[in-house]
Amino acid sequence: MEAYHPVRHSNRLQKFITRFLQYFILAIVVVIIFVPIVILIFGSLKTTGEMYSHPYTIPNPPHWENLTTILSTPAFWRLLRNSLVLMLATTTGVVLVCGLAAFVFARLDFRGKGLFFNLFTLGLMFPINVAILPVYFVLRQMNEMGIHLIDSLVGVILVQIAFNISGNIMILRGFFTAIPSELQDASYIDGCNNFDFFWRILLPLARPALAAVAALTMIVSWNDLLVPLVVLNSDQLWTLPLGTMQFQGQYGQDLALVSAFVALSAIPTIIFYLFAERQIISGLTAGAVKG
Amino acid sequence: MSRKTYLILSVLLIVSFALTACGAPAATQAPPAATEAPASTEAPAAEPVTVTWWHITTKDPGLSDWQKMADDYMAAHPNVKIEITVLENEAFKTKLTTVMQSGDPPDIFQSWGGGTFNQQVQAGLLKDITADLEADPTWRDSFAPGALGVYSFEGKNYGVPWDMGMVGFWYNKALFEQAGIAAPPATWTEFLGDVQKLKDAGITPISIGEGDKWPGMHFWNYLATRICGQAKFEAAMARTGSFTDPCFVEAGTKLQELVALEPFQNGFLGAVHDDMQAAFGNGKAAMELSGQWAPSTQAANSADQKGIGDNLGLFGFPAVEGGAGEGTDVVGGGNGFAIGKNAEPEAVDFVKYLTSVQNQTTIAANGSGIPVVKGAEAGLTDPNMLQVQQTFAAAKYFQLYYDQFLPPATGSVLNDSVQGLFAGTLTPEQVAQAVEDSVAQEMK
Amino acid sequence: MQQLPAIPDILKLKRVSGAPHRLQDTVLIALFLLPALILFLLFVIYPIFRSIYFSLFDWNGLGPAVDFVGLQNFKDILTDQVFLKAFKNIFLIIVFSVGVQLPLALALAVMVGRDLPGRGLFRTIFFMPYVLSEINVAIMWMLLYNPDPDRGLLNAIVVALGSEPIGWLSNTNLVLFSIFIALTWKYFGFHMLLYLAGLQNIPQELEEAARIDGANSFQNFFYITLPLLGSTIRTSVYLSVLGSIQQFILVWIMTKGGPVNASETLATYMYRFGFVRFQLGYGSAVAIYMFLLCLIFSLLYQRLTRQPDYLTGL
Repeated sequence: MEAYHPVRHSNRLQKFITRFLQYFILAIVVVIIFVPIVILIFGSLKTTGEMYSHPYTIPNPPHWENLTTILSTPAFWRLLRNSLVLMLATTTGVVLVCGLAAFVFARLDFRGKGLFFNLFTLGLMFPINVAILPVYFVLRQMNEMGIHLIDSLVGVILVQIAFNISGNIMILRGFFTAIPSELQDASYIDGCNNFDFFWRILLPLARPALAAVAALTMIVSWNDLLVPLVVLNSDQLWTLPLGTMQFQGQYGQDLALVSAFVALSAIPTIIFYLFAERQIISGLTAGAVKG
Repeated sequence: MSRKTYLILSVLLIVSFALTACGAPAATQAPPAATEAPASTEAPAAEPVTVTWWHITTKDPGLSDWQKMADDYMAAHPNVKIEITVLENEAFKTKLTTVMQSGDPPDIFQSWGGGTFNQQVQAGLLKDITADLEADPTWRDSFAPGALGVYSFEGKNYGVPWDMGMVGFWYNKALFEQAGIAAPPATWTEFLGDVQKLKDAGITPISIGEGDKWPGMHFWNYLATRICGQAKFEAAMARTGSFTDPCFVEAGTKLQELVALEPFQNGFLGAVHDDMQAAFGNGKAAMELSGQWAPSTQAANSADQKGIGDNLGLFGFPAVEGGAGEGTDVVGGGNGFAIGKNAEPEAVDFVKYLTSVQNQTTIAANGSGIPVVKGAEAGLTDPNMLQVQQTFAAAKYFQLYYDQFLPPATGSVLNDSVQGLFAGTLTPEQVAQAVEDSVAQEMK
Repeated sequence: MQQLPAIPDILKLKRVSGAPHRLQDTVLIALFLLPALILFLLFVIYPIFRSIYFSLFDWNGLGPAVDFVGLQNFKDILTDQVFLKAFKNIFLIIVFSVGVQLPLALALAVMVGRDLPGRGLFRTIFFMPYVLSEINVAIMWMLLYNPDPDRGLLNAIVVALGSEPIGWLSNTNLVLFSIFIALTWKYFGFHMLLYLAGLQNIPQELEEAARIDGANSFQNFFYITLPLLGSTIRTSVYLSVLGSIQQFILVWIMTKGGPVNASETLATYMYRFGFVRFQLGYGSAVAIYMFLLCLIFSLLYQRLTRQPDYLTGL
């Protein structure tokens, strides 16, 4: 205890230095995060000529032409609309499908439950990046049988839902099992059947979990390039990432224009992120830590 | 929080729907004052017909000219709707093959002829239009026969050309002067010497987009043509000879000599075709080995949209001393319209319109190609393009670029292998062997 | 753990109280499970079998598959230099990720910690790249990596420091490293987040107790924090490895696996043979190999990491 007093001064200095170093390092990381984004934004506010003559300065004055050009082409809004439709449909589908299935796994018991659950676990090891070629074969086969899923948004939606099932069932199951079983017992005593318990008690309680799953799925679907790339042909159906890829391939030399396009296409994502950050993070950490 | 999110999303949805409705695409609106009504041979059908057309002219002026031709046709044929999909070269190749897989090709699409085209015919994906050509001899005879032949298989026609030219060295006259080069090189040795002079003057000698692989393939293609000559190549294709013949290995060795001089721009191994055209068009490189599409893409990809203007010159690929090929042999190709198997007669009629003398003259004038229809070459005012057309016409041996002429899998192997030569990871023997193995497998 | 014994009793209770009987239960279970099951079987499980079938053929996709070659595709893959290169590249990416990206994320998580003022802001900023789409990230970094110092910021800095411009994406020795930097930029925030969550779960009393016993920060970290973060680290490594194996879009957009296959990954290899060259039998075989790789890794990992979790003692 005698050691306390002399230690106090150097302790405070030490703490200050540590804090300073921490903030310094964190600040550097923040800069590293922002550099690509800032360069992109600068590029989008310059004319192409300026990109060559003054590539790294702040655009002064900012030229909005590239942005307005892109915003006034109907193709851009078509991309947005397709991405939006896709995102909403996939998210609704995933929440519904996984919610129902996770409920069954979490709160009910039946023969073969373990088997079915392991089946879904298998899906975690067959991610879409690996499965895209096999899935393409199946879509082709269905096309030959008359079910036209190729070059259709429905095809993309179904495939996206299918490949988001495994992970989200895990996440939801984790949340659902955390609900105390006394609630379930009590509801049975009150005369509810399983469906009532699901609809009236579990779902309202599980709202944060469902929101988390929804937020995650929205991000995944909005950013998905691979499935639309393989399934869609007609440029009327292209989604935003696909359109970005095509735009860059076509106008790659016009750095300012491409920067403008990429910046514009990132805005919806950022806005969504700022609103739904908590849901996204809770979904990810729940799935990862418990899964 | 989630409620707010849904609110934002609903607003976004409504806004984007509204904007899409307001900004209705003008593609189907007829432009005013058409220059000449397109000749239509048959009475237009009463029911509406949609014709899908995929092309790869991503830049102006070609892009707008094609659109205008489609608009003019639609104005004269109100029941026909032409849907154009424009894709960049590499994206087009991938998308087309995917669509072919599902057995649903577009009605009209870009084609280079050769092995890929032949495979498509054999798989029954293209429409036989021999009868349509026979029924209209004026149309059929308007084409240069060699060019028309590229889009035929075993005597039947499945497409028509709209452009046929050759690959050569486009060069910057001002930069050559700066390096003290009086005249373009006529032999390979002179060529290597000129490369060295350019390097000594601090100028990047050659611009190449080897990231896309096929620009580099043209070098090997020409060297093989110069060294092996027509007979050896045709023998190798007929399987009476082989691609491991020393002359093909020699082609690779000569290419290595060039690569060893480090004549290319920075980052050439990762550069794409557009980068290559941009570097040349911005005056950053003295030469590029490219085809008749070069002038227009150089301009389109350059910072000032004009390219190097009057400084642009063209010289043919130099002769290789001791080679079996002729200095007049030409490697090249062009573009054509392949007709998909599901195409309606209106699609064929539209293609007839696209290849009319008047529209071909437009193509000649806008520099996106060399017309193949008699009479349209009057539109060629650019001396460089005229030079292309004349050299092409004078050649006794015309070879379609290997990566299109060979079966697609072999073309792919060739492109990958030649990239290995540029990167120094493969030897000329390995390249020759890879091509031989692939040809043996594909043509068994 | 508690509910399992309860349910059979509940069922008994229901039966006794005249509640809905088992058929309705079974119907409910079936109905609830059906949509997930159908979609999953149709689009996830069935394709595995379909591609096993096609992997036994040499097929270019036009027309039916008729050229049966047995296991030839599988053998050819293992002897293909490019495949082996892709495999080696994946291994390198995994090593970089686990050896560089994860410790970085951990260090930052510890720094941000529990009580740093402004940590919410840091968390938001660091996690942001994760939500951007891979194509956007790829294009942003391609801008930075542009070989022309007048267009690419990194080369401008390099030239300003006095050296020659670097071929970030065209130099065969550098390209994988350049891609890895872009990958780290995008994903380290995710791992940092995991560690932050894991840190929250460590009771502060333990660290304080250690400090009273005389441990300094380093000792505290290595002997207390790190072991308690065990399950989080395991999860992070697992996700990182799996993610590296399937990495596709970023690499494809930036380099297509080039130049000369220097940045080839398993996924770009499969995509090229499947969707570019349309050697669909061969491509299917690659997909099978990738699936097996993920499967084997997952099983091995589960087996290897069945250590007691210090926090819960299970």
